[in-house]
Amino acid sequence: MKRLVILACVFALPGIALAADHGPVFSYATPVNSQRELSFDTGIFVRNGSQGTQFSTGSGFGYGLTPHITVNVFLPATFGSGSLPESRMVSGSEWSAGASWRFLHSVTSVGKRIESTASLSLVVPGPQQDSGLLTSLHRAPGVAGTLATGFASRSQYLWAGAGYTRFSEAANDRRPDTISWSGVYGYRPAKLRRGYDKWDYRGFAELTGEHTGNVLLDRTIVPNSSTTSVWLGPSILAIFKNVAISGGVQAPVFRDASDSIYGREHLRFAINFSYLKYSSHTSSH
Amino acid sequence: MKRIVVAGILTASSLAAHAEYEQVNLTVFGMDCAPCAHAIHVSMKGIQGVNTVDVDLNTGLVTIKLNPGNSAAMRQFNEAVEKNGFTHKDANIVVRGTLTGTPNAPVLEVSGTQDRYALSPLVAGTDIAPLLGKTVTVAGVLPQAPKGKLSGTLRYKTIAEAR
Repeated sequence: MKRLVILACVFALPGIALAADHGPVFSYATPVNSQRELSFDTGIFVRNGSQGTQFSTGSGFGYGLTPHITVNVFLPATFGSGSLPESRMVSGSEWSAGASWRFLHSVTSVGKRIESTASLSLVVPGPQQDSGLLTSLHRAPGVAGTLATGFASRSQYLWAGAGYTRFSEAANDRRPDTISWSGVYGYRPAKLRRGYDKWDYRGFAELTGEHTGNVLLDRTIVPNSSTTSVWLGPSILAIFKNVAISGGVQAPVFRDASDSIYGREHLRFAINFSYLKYSSHTSSH
Repeated sequence: MKRIVVAGILTASSLAAHAEYEQVNLTVFGMDCAPCAHAIHVSMKGIQGVNTVDVDLNTGLVTIKLNPGNSAAMRQFNEAVEKNGFTHKDANIVVRGTLTGTPNAPVLEVSGTQDRYALSPLVAGTDIAPLLGKTVTVAGVLPQAPKGKLSGTLRYKTIAEAR
């Protein structure tokens, strides 16, 4: 167990994490990179269940092509044998590359904005083996799409989002399609609405849900392999200029999954580190 | 020695007449957190001639002070805001330039840049005719323009011959 944690930490160091830049840890949110901004995230995600614990490290880069379009690469790795259902909210073993487009950006006043962002990614199997039922599957690439919309201000944040991932079939096997959704509320107390040269803190309440379809194994649907779960928990984000650290924990509030296949998942935990490299490039006149 | 003195006089006269922005106070909408402000700070500091940048997240005010002899253009400040995904509103500026045009239609030319503004008084009563053809320092408001555009009118509060 100790070795796994150390291994996960070491592997996490050079990477980036699922919680992009300075948003919530588990949920979908709308922020994208500034033009020419390079973001680097790395994190550790833990899923604990009755059949074991799965550690993931999520590592990725994002680059702002324009003020509203960011391309990103996400390279997670997993360790442990949790025998857990497919999840697209917590990083698993799939690598992905795609783009996010903030197609709605309404700036209403000082410190406030309403925005919506759509993302599309190609998901490919990483080198790590899955655990549990998913171990035996031949893996194939898939496509993931997400949509998030919300409101940001100096005091409050509110985002809602949903995503869908579909995998191709490989050798008569197919990973389950996944529908994910999230709602997050964030608050920054008045005392913490300080200058940008001081640490900036805010807290979130994150509600996430996922429905995974049936697993197809050798052209046969595995009985009771579909799952639905809803998770709730707090997270905190601390930022100093261009460095952000966030952490959160979630517990299930609803769970419909076969205990014999997946066990009972009790807890999700994530900690994420972000580094944002802004461009000072400006055009000459 | 004579040459040095002549060169010195020429340099001093060209510095005295140099047209440039001295201070730009931009109100920026949409910044909610520290990285937003940091991004603006980094972008503004990247503009050649910028001396100090101060960002107030709670008021959205970005205060930029420039070094003497700079040739920064107003479009660069606006672009620095836009590339970070924010919106700039009216800007309060202090700028030095050459006053041309006519008493009824004065124009401020910020030489060294392509910036050229039709001047309009915020408060009536200033006689600017004696300043025509001279280098002047103007403090005023540059109204918000559509993204990628620059207002062609500078609504001035004060105008005086530059020292």
